[in-house]
Amino acid sequence: MSEMVTKRRSTHPMKIVALLIVVTCLTLFPFVVTNRFYISLVNEMLIYGLLAMSLDVLLGYTGLLSFMHNAYLGLGAYVVGLFLIHVAPSSLWLALLAGVVVTSVIALPVGWVQVRTGGLAFALLTLAFGMMFYTIVWKWYSLTGGDDGLMGVPHPDIQVLGITLGSSGNPTTMYLLSLCIVFICFLLTWRIIHSPFGAVLEAIRENEERASFVGINVRRYKLYGWMYACMLAGVSGGLFILYRGYIGPTTMSAFAGAGVLMMVLVGGMGSLWGPIVGAGIFIFMQDYISTMTEHWELFVGLVVIMLVLFLPRGFIGLGDYLTRFRKE
Amino acid sequence: MSFTAIAVDIILNSLVLGGVLLIVAIGLNIIYGLSRVMNLAHGSLYALGAYAGFTLVASGLNYFAALLVAPLLIAVVGLIIERVIIVPVRKRSIVYTLILTYGLMFFLDGLIKYFWGNEPRFIELPQFMRQTLPIAGTHYPVFRLVTLLTTAVAMIGLMLFLGKTKLGIILRAASSIPEMVSCMGINMTFVHAGAFALGCVLAGIAGVISGPLYTIDPIMGHEMLISSFVVIVIGGLGSLRGAVLAAFLIGLVQTLAEFFVTDLAMVIVYMMMALILAFMPRGLLGEGRFE
Repeated sequence: MSEMVTKRRSTHPMKIVALLIVVTCLTLFPFVVTNRFYISLVNEMLIYGLLAMSLDVLLGYTGLLSFMHNAYLGLGAYVVGLFLIHVAPSSLWLALLAGVVVTSVIALPVGWVQVRTGGLAFALLTLAFGMMFYTIVWKWYSLTGGDDGLMGVPHPDIQVLGITLGSSGNPTTMYLLSLCIVFICFLLTWRIIHSPFGAVLEAIRENEERASFVGINVRRYKLYGWMYACMLAGVSGGLFILYRGYIGPTTMSAFAGAGVLMMVLVGGMGSLWGPIVGAGIFIFMQDYISTMTEHWELFVGLVVIMLVLFLPRGFIGLGDYLTRFRKE
Repeated sequence: MSFTAIAVDIILNSLVLGGVLLIVAIGLNIIYGLSRVMNLAHGSLYALGAYAGFTLVASGLNYFAALLVAPLLIAVVGLIIERVIIVPVRKRSIVYTLILTYGLMFFLDGLIKYFWGNEPRFIELPQFMRQTLPIAGTHYPVFRLVTLLTTAVAMIGLMLFLGKTKLGIILRAASSIPEMVSCMGINMTFVHAGAFALGCVLAGIAGVISGPLYTIDPIMGHEMLISSFVVIVIGGLGSLRGAVLAAFLIGLVQTLAEFFVTDLAMVIVYMMMALILAFMPRGLLGEGRFE
């Protein structure tokens, strides 16, 4: 494992070039493929990619398993939606900020309780809290619309420094906004993960006891990791409601949550771009197979079983395997 | 209806619900206790049991015969799953088994939808079970009493099996000190497979008896899975006595919630689960343990 860590630390110039090429391609995408359906699909991939990346900060770097990370996407989305409906229908940035702040405020006491445990107990705790939020959102009909979901969320204009760039109701503009924010979050997370703070998180993942022996306050750092992951989930929630204009409680269910876990696994834990790729593959699979056959669960289940059995490190693992193979 | 009638109704209903919860949760608990695999597909095995019971009864078998045959079928399915899928990941981190059994849950749900479709099903009951019995001023359905009786028989059978037979003693020993048991020359492969099969038998029994209680649909296992998680966490992981206490507690809370039509009850239950996990991780009776 330590060998891998040092390998990941070095930033090869080719990596930066590759990142720039990918971002350029993604920016040009809505102008080349003008079909609204595909633009929305890639937009959803980006938003879930951000969520999966934030879960990976928790799972792949800190070694904490969260079953219901989507609960924080849901909370962010509901807060942004309610803010736009009831408080200020036209202030996009304020709404996004409110989403992040409220999600963090809710995540803080939850995290304070959760970091007291680890391993399986932590995973089951995320399930307990997630189900609690899900039940509240589902049953609080007067505020959230209950089963019907939150409808009629306005589409505010996107303004930067007083210049209106377009309405967030337009798929292309919304796509570019998502891309921009996801890219910024990616760079920020990359910087954080490759700082001494990130090294502390990895130390906790490798061995909690030894980390505490060298004087690291394990609980506090777990809480920092948790808060950062929930904040990013809140951001993705804000983008989610802006892109879709609607959110229902099923987005927050335990089974949707395990889907996010699967994105991380498909892409590969312990890397930042892996989960984003995984989210793309997962959403494409779900979308494509469900149009082909109504028995998509059968195929998704089979793919997950095969992945865990034969490719436990995800597609990242496949890449490593191929490069090693070539060297030999 | 008089007050006693309502009280009797609530108590019997919560016992029935708690009993079904208990059987599913104990199956999950046994599998976890012996092989350290948290089986997320357990709810789907329970649903599969209900569908197996439905098909057997629909093809002309007696309800009680189906109650015996369906769990054995589920045990065979469980053995295949254990041998083919679970064995290769047993040595890896618990994250992998969780994700693997999650994929398995999807796969089994897909299979159920493929064979039985999406529409709800009902298990046809024998004539005498469709009547009601007057108890303390209320008319209580006979099939619910039969369900209660089946739960009691299954639990007593399990207790006797674990407490009195040599096989049961091996299982209990293996759940506390696996290394020592394998040093005594007992093949742990059989112990793991046996534990999984036993858990599946229990899931199958719960599936068949809950057929008449609720409608059978492909997602019936999901809710049951989450509820049985709550039960084994509140009771303490690996603790059987704790699970009994917790199952009837949750049964009572859910029945009261249904009776008073309040939605807050489940929130309180989840809150309780969270507090117990964080501050009393060994469960209500302090018997459980985390690895």
